[in-house]
Amino acid sequence: MKTTEFDAIVIGSGITGGWAAKELTEKGLKVLVLERGSDIRHGVDYLGEHAPDWKMPFQGKADRIRNAQEYPIQSQSYAFSEATRHFFNNDQANPYIRSDDKPFDWMRANVVGGRSLLWGRQVYRFSEQDFNANGQDQQGIPWPIGYKDIAPWYSYVEKFIGVSGEAEGLPELPDGEFLPPMEMFALEKTIKARLAQKAPEVTMTMGRAAILTKNHNGRGACHYCGPCHRGCSTGSYFSSQSSTLPAARKTGNLTLKANAVVERLVYDKKSGKVSDVLVIDSETRERHRYSARLFFMCASTIGSTQILLNSTCDTFPNGLANSSGALGHYLMDHAHGEVAIGAFLDDMDSYYHGNRPNGTYLPRFKNLPGKKQDKNFMRGYGFQGNVLRMDWRLNLNQKGFGVSLKDSLRKPGPWIWALTGFAECLPRKSNRVFLDKNKVDRFGIPQVAIEFEWSENEKAIWTDMANNGERLMKAAGAVFSLKTEKLEAVGGSAIHEMGTARMGSDPSQSVLNGHNQAHDVPNLFVTDGACMTSSSCVNPSLTYMALTARACDYAVAQLAAGKI
Amino acid sequence: MNRREFMKCAALLVSGVGASQMVFSLSAEQRVYLAAAASYADRGIQFFSHEQRQLVVSLSEVIIPATDTPGAKEAGVSRFIELMVADWFNPQERTIFMDGLETLQRDTMAHHGMNFEDLAVDDQQALLEQLESAASDSPWYELGNVLRDFISDAPFICQLKELTVWGFFTSEVGAKQVLRYNPMPMSFDGDIPLKPEHSSWALSVTEF
Repeated sequence: MKTTEFDAIVIGSGITGGWAAKELTEKGLKVLVLERGSDIRHGVDYLGEHAPDWKMPFQGKADRIRNAQEYPIQSQSYAFSEATRHFFNNDQANPYIRSDDKPFDWMRANVVGGRSLLWGRQVYRFSEQDFNANGQDQQGIPWPIGYKDIAPWYSYVEKFIGVSGEAEGLPELPDGEFLPPMEMFALEKTIKARLAQKAPEVTMTMGRAAILTKNHNGRGACHYCGPCHRGCSTGSYFSSQSSTLPAARKTGNLTLKANAVVERLVYDKKSGKVSDVLVIDSETRERHRYSARLFFMCASTIGSTQILLNSTCDTFPNGLANSSGALGHYLMDHAHGEVAIGAFLDDMDSYYHGNRPNGTYLPRFKNLPGKKQDKNFMRGYGFQGNVLRMDWRLNLNQKGFGVSLKDSLRKPGPWIWALTGFAECLPRKSNRVFLDKNKVDRFGIPQVAIEFEWSENEKAIWTDMANNGERLMKAAGAVFSLKTEKLEAVGGSAIHEMGTARMGSDPSQSVLNGHNQAHDVPNLFVTDGACMTSSSCVNPSLTYMALTARACDYAVAQLAAGKI
Repeated sequence: MNRREFMKCAALLVSGVGASQMVFSLSAEQRVYLAAAASYADRGIQFFSHEQRQLVVSLSEVIIPATDTPGAKEAGVSRFIELMVADWFNPQERTIFMDGLETLQRDTMAHHGMNFEDLAVDDQQALLEQLESAASDSPWYELGNVLRDFISDAPFICQLKELTVWGFFTSEVGAKQVLRYNPMPMSFDGDIPLKPEHSSWALSVTEF
């Protein structure tokens, strides 16, 4: 094992690791990015892209036996198929401890680019109220920053990644730097007009998506093939692979090592800083040690916290930078699911061209500042709306044979509109990740255990979300609708897990300060979802990216000033 | 509710209207561009006897016949069925299927004095309708029960129908000549005319 020196080491190459790599290399630092997954290349290794059904194993039917044995968690993801399996973590090879009575589904990619290849691409800014809520209703601790601190960084990130969307002028859903929005289906226009009459408190806007509606920064506009998560060789949706890693490479300052499993960080008592990272090559099992002046944790919420918890020493016996004891606690995810679906017989003679990989968004309308407050719950929720036209797959078990069956199956059926709710989750200490020292993985690293339960507040939100979902279905003109009465989603299934190394002004209650810098260790930054102090109800990735860019700016200035 | 569960509900709702490798890495063997790969149906597995194969060809064509567009036979659906029975079915499902084939052929011979594939189309269809009638209390027919991997104890006729319909509409012939296939639309227009002769797009609505 020899030591190689860098200016900065970034752990993880997903949506935040890519940003840290870009920002730090562009500021002139020699950066090493460590990625535990395999080394795939943009475009070249998107093996499932544009594959038609007849080329797919089993013509698209799931590989049941292999999924049950090797991918029991990952195969629950809507994005998982034979066309994307090679992006996902093998659950059998890389297990975690999933509690039976407090279950949490941990969705993981295992390739360079991480989940930025697989994400839902919806990007919404947290609002001023989102940053204020903890301080006002005494749930969790106050954020150390406010909307005005992050707003310029939202703009900075949006301009680079390319966000298509519509400005609405709503304080609860701040506008950003938008490319033209995608078009709505005829049915969506019909519904929007009806909601404007019958539910005027609700706004329906085109989904804000990190998908290009025109060429942008050397990447091509969307060609509307449909399933983005198979990878996009034209780079039409934002991923580390399509955007930030190429930018980092261009500087000549980037070294990226794949198959690099981080075991732990090494704390140097004398300097009071992290000095090295210990890495195991997942293919050769060789051990490496790399040193740097700056360390950025971007290994995903649970991944980063697992590494910090495993990086113990005399000074930090309970995990690195954990003098507060908050590390591993306050895990959140959005309470999410399709709360209401409806069938529509409107616009039956209207069809579509192109597979729009985006839906509509109905931002939070409950418990807004200065408006009526619901006595049954705190915070709020938003809806993502999706339209689809029924086809043979949803009707293949009908009776009959021959000519009439064939004709019935080939034709489009009625329209469906579905509302997926995303409810804010309160930070609670008992929702946690911790290490089980008695169970180690194939590298000898203690496995992470996760315990997660919904609180009464999320359950109460769900009830309101389902009732309002049903009301909106009726207002929209559904001829028939169903609602999901109870919150049954398993934690983690929204794939918006966050918290466990939260930001805060008080070092006795938080792991990170207002610049994502560890209170206890000045050269250690955590900028992925682990840093989150509250969850809002909007998709969080944009906020992670903005916080990462902001933290890089601060860290490099501190480094230059000799303060790190 | 995840996307698959949602789709199940969606179907339900509309009916109311009307060991493997331990360490993952991209080995040379795995590095297959699916879009450039051979079709699934081109795999070399042989499982059925010649007689069984003839029977399955005939059965699939009764379910999805050639009309002004190709049917199951031209789409090679029997090949898909043979591969799935050999390669994808579990032992229970395989036993149900193979017993079902044998029973159907034996009963046809007993009642009609000839093989199923030699009967007139109307008689063939009537036989399948009888099987479906006898199976009609199977959960397979429950409204919306479509987005699951498979129903392992479903009767033979349900297995046969599911594999035929799936194999047909996911085949190249079914996707391009009966449905409409456009892998590279280049733009999105949410409002174009739909006429009675227009079929659905081939790309799964469950995938994006």
